[in-house]
Amino acid sequence: MIHVDKLSKSFGRKVIFDQVSFTAEKGEITCLIGINGVGKTTLLKAIAHLTPVNSGKVTINGEPLRAQQYRDIVFIPDVLPMAPSFSIQEAIDFMKDFYPNWNDARCSDLLTFFKLDQLQKLSHLSKGNVAKVNLVLGLSVDAHYILMDEPFSGIDIFSREEIASLFSSGFLEDKGILVTTHEIRDIEHLIDKAILLKDGTVAKEFYTEDLRFEEGKSIEDAMREIYVNHG
Amino acid sequence: MNILFNNREPVYIQVIRHFKEQIALGHLVAGQEIPSRRELGSTLKINPNTAQRAYKEMEEQQLIETERNKPSRITQDQQVLNQIRAELIHESVDLFLDSMKTINVSVDELISIIRKRYEDGGTSYDSR
Repeated sequence: MIHVDKLSKSFGRKVIFDQVSFTAEKGEITCLIGINGVGKTTLLKAIAHLTPVNSGKVTINGEPLRAQQYRDIVFIPDVLPMAPSFSIQEAIDFMKDFYPNWNDARCSDLLTFFKLDQLQKLSHLSKGNVAKVNLVLGLSVDAHYILMDEPFSGIDIFSREEIASLFSSGFLEDKGILVTTHEIRDIEHLIDKAILLKDGTVAKEFYTEDLRFEEGKSIEDAMREIYVNHG
Repeated sequence: MNILFNNREPVYIQVIRHFKEQIALGHLVAGQEIPSRRELGSTLKINPNTAQRAYKEMEEQQLIETERNKPSRITQDQQVLNQIRAELIHESVDLFLDSMKTINVSVDELISIIRKRYEDGGTSYDSR
C-alpha cells in the first residue's frame, strides 16, 4: 500500500497541494483525477521522491521510501525519457543497465501485446506508439508499484483503446497502480478507486463500483459535482 | 462477447446480467465451462477485480460452481436455471411498467400496443 499522509508542497508562495492524504492499494488501480494544473504530476513525483515536499510523508507498505525501495516503485512520466535516435531495443538495453529487476520475458510479451517492432527508431514512431514504448519500458521492471502520469494524453483514440486494454490484461495483476488522468472516459469502468483533487486537496475519494451501487453515479457525474457545481 | 457498459450501474452487476442473458438464450448451458476471471477481464475489457467480484457474486447466487483448482462451470441445478428466465422477464417488465405508469398509459391501451407491435415483428426490439 502506498500511503500519502498530509503531504504539502508549494513553489514559493504558490501552493501546489496542501495536506493531501490518500492510499493506493496493491492489486488495485487507483486514479488521481483533476483538471489540468492541479498538481497531479507533482504529486506523483513527490511520491517517487523526484521532488522535495514541504511537509507530510509517503510510506510504502508502512515504510518510508529509501534508496533500496526505489526499485520497487516505477514512475512512468508523460513523455518518453529516451533519446529519439534510439531504437526501441536500445531504449530497452538502456533500462536494463539501471534495473537489475528487469523482466525480459514480460518485456517481449508487452511488445507483442502492443505490436511493436523493437528495431524501429523512436523518432520514426507515431505519438501513440511512443506512449506504448514508454509503458513497455516501465512495466517490464518487476516492481510492485507503478505510477503512470497521463498515459492517455495527446494520443489518438485507437492507441488510447489499446492502452486502456492494458488495464484489463493480466500485465498489471497484483501490482499497485496509481494513474493520473483528466480524460476519465477512457477508463471509467477500468479503475477500482478514484481520487478527485481540487484546489490542492482531496475533494472526494471513492471506490467506483460503490459509487455506482450506492448512488447510481458515474465517475464523470462525481467530477461534474466537484468541478462544475460550485458550492 | 461484448457488452456496452452503462457507467452509472455497477459493472459487476452488468456482467452478471450478461451471463443470465446468455443462459436464458441457451448460449451457456448447464455444466458448461466458463472463462477464467482473467480471460473474462480481457475479453470484456474490464478490471480483473470486477470480473472476480462478478464471479464471487454468481457463486453466492449458485449460478456457477467452482471446484478447487478447476475452471468454473454453469450450475447443473435446473431450478436455478429456470428461475433466471423468469427473473429477466420480471426485471424488464417492471422497468417497462414504471415508465408507462409515469405517462399514464392504461393497461388496456398498453396490451393492445404490445400485441400490435409484437405481431408487426417487433423489429425495433433491442435486447439491451
